[in-house]
Formats: sequence, structure tokens, C-alpha cells
Amino acid sequence: MSLSDLVLSIADNKQMLGLRYAEWATRAPSLEADIAAAAMGLDDLGHSRVLYGCLEPLGADPRGPDRESDAGSLRSLQYFDEPWTEWAQFVAANAILDTAFTVMIEACVNGTVEVLQHRMRKMLMEERYHFLHGRSWLKSGVDANPLSEAWREAIEWFGPLDGETATFHKEGRLSMGPTELRARLEERLETKAPAVQIDWKAWDPVRRRSRPGAIDDRTFAMLRGLEEKKYAKAPPAP
Amino acid sequence: MGPGGLTHYKRVSGDAVEYEVFARKTRGEPLHQVGSVVAPDDDLAVAYARATYDEERWVEMAIVRKEHVIELWQPGEA
Repeated sequence: MSLSDLVLSIADNKQMLGLRYAEWATRAPSLEADIAAAAMGLDDLGHSRVLYGCLEPLGADPRGPDRESDAGSLRSLQYFDEPWTEWAQFVAANAILDTAFTVMIEACVNGTVEVLQHRMRKMLMEERYHFLHGRSWLKSGVDANPLSEAWREAIEWFGPLDGETATFHKEGRLSMGPTELRARLEERLETKAPAVQIDWKAWDPVRRRSRPGAIDDRTFAMLRGLEEKKYAKAPPAP
Repeated sequence: MGPGGLTHYKRVSGDAVEYEVFARKTRGEPLHQVGSVVAPDDDLAVAYARATYDEERWVEMAIVRKEHVIELWQPGEA
């Protein structure tokens, strides 16, 4: 596992977060929330592109050809495997997972890796608005189930206390390790994480999740441009 | 989304308030009103204003609760 693997995980998760946000651009509880969902979706898709662009300067691009054919090779969390059916899932992702990714970006920006310091800083400015949006909706009260699932996946995503993330922290490449990341997330959300049981033996350090699965076929096809082709004009007959 | 997804939420919340949005593109020009948003609190109003009125590269944007604007006179009263 390298720092590139971690950056790719942030990128894949932000890509999926952006797509799931965008799916709510016409069905959020208010017109303003519709527009915010679209804007946040665009932000996160943009962030993912910047992050993919960091892989080459980091020296090792872990993306293989299987990403074109195997949805399970993408490194997004289980939370994004299926489209959300309830607004509470949106809010939990917005408040907890989006902020978890932001906290990791803070750790990169305040770490010693120059390319990450420079390229990721602007994301923190844009993420301020995601945070305000998520925290405000969180305070309005949403169902507990998506919240506990988002907390569990966030803590899992930070990684085990003796894993690579902790090593990157010790080396200074990240300014925070799993313990500090969790504390920072709790501090920002002004709440303690619920007690979660994580089976670290089943945890996949590449995908940073302990449960198998992959994004749904339609979303995977869309990522590869196959959905768009359905609506393309047929080529003229020879 | 299933039909039950929105039933817990109203499209316009009863306690939502209106905020006026002001912005300017350069330091030399005055702030001017670019629109308004409706939100239940200041944080959400900030997020909504930024998302809704991001068509320009504003150097400054500010919001104010409409109820906090003190009108001196209205059209036709001067």
C-alpha cells in the first residue's frame, strides 16, 4: 500500500459521492437543496479529477485495466454501491462521509507531500459549504440508521490503528493518523461517533472496506460512458 | 427514490426565512443584490446562496436576513 492508493481511494469515493449527490438534484426537499445537491456534486466530481491528476506526480498510478470491466476494482465505499432511496442517506453522506474525506484532505494538505499540499488546498475552501449544508440538515434530525452506517464506514475508511494510515502519519506524510482523524471528525460534527464493531481481519486495505460488493451496473456503465452511447445517433448506413 | 422518501420533508419549511444575497465581481464596484434564498438557518442559507448564485467569479458575497433590512421608503413613497 502506498500513498497513491490512499489518494485513489479519496478520488474514487469523491467521484461516487458526486454522482450520488447529482442524482438528488431534482428530488431534494426544497429547490435550494436541489441546487445545492447539483453544486456539491459538481464540486466533488471536480475534486476527483484533481486527485486522479495527483497520481502520476506521486510516482505510482495504481489504476489497472480492470477498472474498465470490473466494478469491484473501484475503491468506493459500500455506502455508494446503490443509489440512495431516502433523503436521510443523502444527509448522512453529506455530513459524515463528505466531512471524513475533507478531514483526510486536511491531513494531506498539512502533511509533507508537496503535490498534495498544493493541489488539495482549494478543495478545503469548497468543502466548507458542503459542511455547512450537511451539518445544518443533520441538526434538523434524520433517521438514525444511515447515520450509524455512515459513521461505521467513515471509521473503517480511516483504517486500523496499526495500518498504513498510521504509518503515513508517523512519517509525517499525513498530519493525522486514524485516531486523530476520528477525533477531528467528531470535533467538526460536534458529536461522538457511535460505538462500532469493525472486523479488521476482513478489512480490505486497498478498497478500505470490510464488506464485498460494488457499485450498481447502471452507474458503472455510466462511468464508462456506455449509458451515453445509448442516446447517441446511429451512424449513417453505408 | 421511493415515494416515501420526501414525505417526511416539506418542500418549503414553515420556519424557513428569506435571505437577500449580495455580491460584487470587483473590489471597485459596490455590493449589489443578486437574488434571495429561503433557508431555516444561517448555515444552510450560506450554502444555498453559494450554490445558487455561483454563475460569476464573485470577489465577495454576503447574505442578510430580509427581516433585518430596515427600509427607509418604498417605491412611490419618496
